[in-house]
Amino acid sequence: MAANTSSTVVQALVVCRKELKDWSRDRRSIITVLISSLLAPILVGVMFTNLASRQRQVEDVTIPVVGGANAPALMDWLRQQAGVTVVDGPSDPEEAVRSRREDVVVVIADDFSADLKSSRPAQVRIVADGSSQNTRPKVQRIRGLLQQYSGQIGALRLIARGVSPAVASTLQIEDVEVSSAQQRAAMLLGFIPLFILISAFTGGMPLATDSTAGERERGSIEALLVNPAPREAIAAGKWIAGTLTAMLSVVVSGGLLFALFQYIPLQDLGIRFHLGQRELIGTLIIVLPVCPLIVGIQMYVATFAKSFKEAQSYLSFLMMVQMVPGMIMMNSNVAKAWWMYYVPWVGAQTILTDMLGNKPISAAVFVVMGLVNVVLAIVAVRATAGLLLREKIIFGR
Amino acid sequence: MIRVENLHKRFGEVRAVDGVSFTAADGLVTALLGPNGAGKTTTLRMLYTLMRPDEGRIFVDDVDAVADAQGARLRLGVLPDQSGLYPRLTAREHIAYFGELQGITGSDLRTRTEHLLKLLDMTEIADRRVAGFSHGERTKTALARAIVHRPKNVLLDEPTNGLDVMSTRAVREIIRRLKGEGHTVLFSSHVMQEVSALSDRIVVIARGTIVADGSPDDLRRQTGHENMEDAFVALSGLEVEANPS
Repeated sequence: MAANTSSTVVQALVVCRKELKDWSRDRRSIITVLISSLLAPILVGVMFTNLASRQRQVEDVTIPVVGGANAPALMDWLRQQAGVTVVDGPSDPEEAVRSRREDVVVVIADDFSADLKSSRPAQVRIVADGSSQNTRPKVQRIRGLLQQYSGQIGALRLIARGVSPAVASTLQIEDVEVSSAQQRAAMLLGFIPLFILISAFTGGMPLATDSTAGERERGSIEALLVNPAPREAIAAGKWIAGTLTAMLSVVVSGGLLFALFQYIPLQDLGIRFHLGQRELIGTLIIVLPVCPLIVGIQMYVATFAKSFKEAQSYLSFLMMVQMVPGMIMMNSNVAKAWWMYYVPWVGAQTILTDMLGNKPISAAVFVVMGLVNVVLAIVAVRATAGLLLREKIIFGR
Repeated sequence: MIRVENLHKRFGEVRAVDGVSFTAADGLVTALLGPNGAGKTTTLRMLYTLMRPDEGRIFVDDVDAVADAQGARLRLGVLPDQSGLYPRLTAREHIAYFGELQGITGSDLRTRTEHLLKLLDMTEIADRRVAGFSHGERTKTALARAIVHRPKNVLLDEPTNGLDVMSTRAVREIIRRLKGEGHTVLFSSHVMQEVSALSDRIVVIARGTIVADGSPDDLRRQTGHENMEDAFVALSGLEVEANPS
């Protein structure tokens, strides 16, 4: 019996080595791994850098002003506001904005001083291109500043006439910003666990399909199964190889994210988020044990497919199904229930979110989650081995 | 030695194999001859254990192939109906892969691989990926990986189907050599010349049943046709049914 077991292991490793060799020569599979592991870091990087720079743009605002000499008090007040720089505006403001040389220009009318003194509305024009999305926050900031100034002067005038400024305020409008840059950033961070899990899925997919449905499509499965190697050894060998490729994809993707986060100016967004060595290692420890199960299920499903293409459409659907709980979890703040940790995939995402959010993780949860994954993976591999006995699978083309 | 007793296999209403019995002895080449759709491939699939018979018994060197499929597979070398290759592996890697699955390793594996490559005249293409191989080169690769472990019994499903003259010669040469070494060789074919040139014994199968079994001379005598092709046509009932598949 012992000799049998050891020869089964040897045969599984022979299959595993062959599948990895075959996989490493498949340009398509290598490109898939690269793209899937690059996609997440690039996407996250671009979004964060974009957010950060937009945030900076709003906070530090440079206002080109034409006719600033007409309103020295206003200019002084603007300069006193945090992050505001006042510069001389271009001679033709409208042309400058139209040609995108300036985002916005403030034009003070010549009779500003005179109007102000005689308590008539003094004219200030904000020249901006309303169709430009990028400059909108900046324009809003400037408008807000001017309205604030207008309100202050107005209030002083009322007080000078013995009227409470409250009389003039019919409404008290308060902005409650729910999609602040921070919140958007936090939402993006919520995507990171999902991205890493997806890279495990896409990384394992080429080998999982090629070694099952691909084997059927090429008609090589008959010759392979005529070998005296037990089906378990064949299924396990393919599974080990697939798991290794999924893990490779996770390591590459995690490593790239880690490298990227050294360069993203998160502090500019006011986020206390750190993706350092501790987080990287933690992420790998959590995600790598999920890979065997992901690949086990992929292989089981792909074995039903007669061709590579058919398998890919099954697996794309499977990936969407697996993503649903995570998406729901992220978008609506569902309270985390204890059992979520023990559901494969969902558990990994929950525990990853906890870790990246610096919440304590109990070792027991981690161990149980790992066990659940391994047990289910073995069930999937045995089921796949069982499929390899079916005549419809072996001969059905 | 391979012994088949009263084999049955049904697919829905179709009786693909309906009571087939024969014996393929050691040191002899036995041919399973029949038109397309006669049940040759189904019979062989049951012999190489990937298909379970509905009824009947199969013995490979006295191992019950139905009860102990793995034990039977240990004694078999098979060129199946579908013998697809892995396009990204070389011919040598194909042979090595199957050798390793049979538990052959190291210098033993290298020697056997080298020997087979030479025997099949494949030395030049041994380290090329099979993606660009011709049909003949593919068949030779599949044949080499099937017999790398020197199995006692060799099953070949239409081994020369679609091959050019040179490849056909190489395959025939291998079959004769295996016979000379005392192996049991059982191959299927629907080509008359093929069978009469190679086999010591011919089992003619049509519509799932054995219609004749004997040496080429026996068959000629039995049908009264001096020409083997006429004998075949008479035996398989092709005159009655033009398109049996």
